[in-house]
Amino acid sequence: MQIETALLVGLLFAVSVYLLLHKSFVRILFGFVTLTNATNLFLISMSGDPDGKRAPILAEGSGPIVDPLPQALVLTAIVIGFGLTIYLIMLLYRIFLDAKTTDASKLFLPEADDE
Amino acid sequence: MNNLLVLPFLLPVLTAVICCLFVGRPGVGRRVFIAISAAAQCALAFYLAVRAFHEPPLVLLMGGWAPPLGVVLVVDGLAAIMLCLSTVVALACILFSYAEIPVWAEQPLRLPLMQLLVAGINLSFLTGDLFNLFVAFEIMLVASYALLTLEANDRHIKEAFPYLAVNMFGSALFLVAAGLAYSVFGTLNLADISRRAEAMQGDFGVMVVAVLLVVVFGIKAGVFPLYYWLPNSYPILPFSLGAFYSGMLTKVGIYVLLRTFGTVFPHNLTQLYTALAWLAGLTMVLAVLGAVSRNFIRGILSFHIVSQIGYMILAIGFFTPLAIAACIFYVIHHIIVKSSLFLIGGTAMFYNRTDNLARMGGLLKASPILATCFIIQAFSLAGVPPLSGFWGKYAIILVGLEEHRYWLVVAALVASVLTLVSMLKIWMGAFWQKLPADGTADPEAPAAARTMTAIVCALTLISLAIGFGAEFFFGIAQTAATSLLDPAQYREAVFSLTGKGGQ
Amino acid sequence: MKATTDSFLVRALIGLVFLLVNIVSVYLLLRGHNLPGGGFIGGLMTGMSFILLGLVRGWEELQRELPVPPLRLASFGLLLAMITGTAPMLFGRQFLTQYQLHLDYVPLIGEVHIGTPLLFDIGVFLLVSCITVKLVIVLARSTSGLPAFTPGEVPYYASELEGPIEETANKEDRHAN
Repeated sequence: MQIETALLVGLLFAVSVYLLLHKSFVRILFGFVTLTNATNLFLISMSGDPDGKRAPILAEGSGPIVDPLPQALVLTAIVIGFGLTIYLIMLLYRIFLDAKTTDASKLFLPEADDE
Repeated sequence: MNNLLVLPFLLPVLTAVICCLFVGRPGVGRRVFIAISAAAQCALAFYLAVRAFHEPPLVLLMGGWAPPLGVVLVVDGLAAIMLCLSTVVALACILFSYAEIPVWAEQPLRLPLMQLLVAGINLSFLTGDLFNLFVAFEIMLVASYALLTLEANDRHIKEAFPYLAVNMFGSALFLVAAGLAYSVFGTLNLADISRRAEAMQGDFGVMVVAVLLVVVFGIKAGVFPLYYWLPNSYPILPFSLGAFYSGMLTKVGIYVLLRTFGTVFPHNLTQLYTALAWLAGLTMVLAVLGAVSRNFIRGILSFHIVSQIGYMILAIGFFTPLAIAACIFYVIHHIIVKSSLFLIGGTAMFYNRTDNLARMGGLLKASPILATCFIIQAFSLAGVPPLSGFWGKYAIILVGLEEHRYWLVVAALVASVLTLVSMLKIWMGAFWQKLPADGTADPEAPAAARTMTAIVCALTLISLAIGFGAEFFFGIAQTAATSLLDPAQYREAVFSLTGKGGQ
Repeated sequence: MKATTDSFLVRALIGLVFLLVNIVSVYLLLRGHNLPGGGFIGGLMTGMSFILLGLVRGWEELQRELPVPPLRLASFGLLLAMITGTAPMLFGRQFLTQYQLHLDYVPLIGEVHIGTPLLFDIGVFLLVSCITVKLVIVLARSTSGLPAFTPGEVPYYASELEGPIEETANKEDRHAN
């Protein structure tokens, strides 16, 4: 499991960086969504190898459990990522309405009269 | 039992929530309530500071859970200093924003969000846990994103995008760093990390975590290759908020760098210190060049933040006890001076209805007091003796000479001179020159700006006090630096308390 | 985004689905603490149920039918959570200390285990569900051509003049317009 998770995390990071470097707002947005998920998966994989271990629910069953702390951390990270993603969607939509473009490279062209 | 420790975080949050819940609309009563709350936070911070300087670090176990399982809040000398500064600046900025905008025109969400921002900043000073630090950063950043775009107009709102993008990427890196720290050290408690890092000195994992954290906090503080987001986004803020952002936000990054290098990691990451010092040199020179090239007050001042960050990072890069004390002293000086310069800019804009230097002028005649405050603060920022900026820079340069880092010393001096040049640019544009033909002078301004001038004067007096009472303030900084650089004391304070789930 | 649907079946069943989803979400809320579940997940599900309602019946109607402004309820949730954390401080215990009550037998229900974390979770539940509803309403309204806030809401979210400070200085001119 560890190798597969590591490969997947690497792949997700690669995809997210690739998308982030695009000009289009939509791809940048997807880039951030992928980035959030890549970091969350990375955090989860810090619990160690889950083979032969149970989910950390103490009320049910017994035996070795996976480290619960990264899962608690990941829940926090998901909440924060959720809020930030919505904020980013809203901001990009607003910029699109004002600047009438979804091309990030056209956004900061020098204007004739700055300020 | 130190339940007071949670109050610098709890009070602002409660204030914000009560404002949203009971009074959605701005009004005089709400303004008074927020001002009282801000003053109470201020008093609390000073009380904590007095205690922190007379006792070992104060510790609170949240929910009674013992470290390393539970989250702890710790206040030592440095954290107490930062808490005092953040609450004082917040109080000044809140009062200034009352004068800046009449009640009927106030954005209803502005002050609640500002209180949340204060809460996030205070929590990141208080916390003794790496993941809790991430949460504190996010509270602070989310509030700052919202405030940044809250009152931005259609043309300026796009500047928030780089700010958001860079900081979101930084947050993702922070999470990765926290995860790595957990897998390397098996704990997220700062005191526990410091204990284990000491035992595994020279381990590659320690270095990786340290480098990642430096990159993350470098982004937040605005160090050289990663500062692009800052100078363009701060100018879209109103002056009162800009003053708070410029004073506090980047300094949180500095505080955390001091905390990680001083308390958490072993003091032998020499390559990292050298890299930081060189980055700092580049930061201060390049950013001050940017400041010289700008032609409106907020732009110049925003670039200066980055340049001044360079000095603090340089001091961290030298990493001798004297350099760390100088860094702390510089932070104290910088937060007060920078915020008051922003507020002076805000007052100046009240007179001229713009902060574009080409269309300003005549302020020396219109308000001699404001001009005096400006010249004091500008010289202080540039480091003219005997004002507060001089002592910080003097100590940093002294350390640089002792360590034979002559090029960095030259860079610091060049940046100082250029700072003076850009400050003179504001002086010539806004205060000295006659009002240009296309400029406006508000005839009612002097009466309306009385409160603003009073706040600016108060901050200027504080900065003068720091300059003339440098011995006292440097003493405080040295005490804070000594306890910062003594991880054993920090660990002892954290682990001395017993709670549920102890080892 | 087209907000309403003409399908009779969907319109007739949406009430039932709404009820079912909310039963599950309350179940998740109560079950939390020792088992998977809790305020955040329950709150998200409730938020989803409102989104479903809005998609079927239209955002304006949904907003008319909401009994309280979501942001206000969300602030109440946050306040509740904070008070649960703060209350132990009044008795000299640490911030966020928990108190549990374990009853071996309650008529009709059986074994009950409740504590202050449940109150905290209810606060989180309110916060998450209301914020989600508010976010989606704002997003949906602005993408479907409506103004983001209804006229009644505007004073709570925007000042009388929205604009940069440079223009606030000319307040008389702008106010006259």
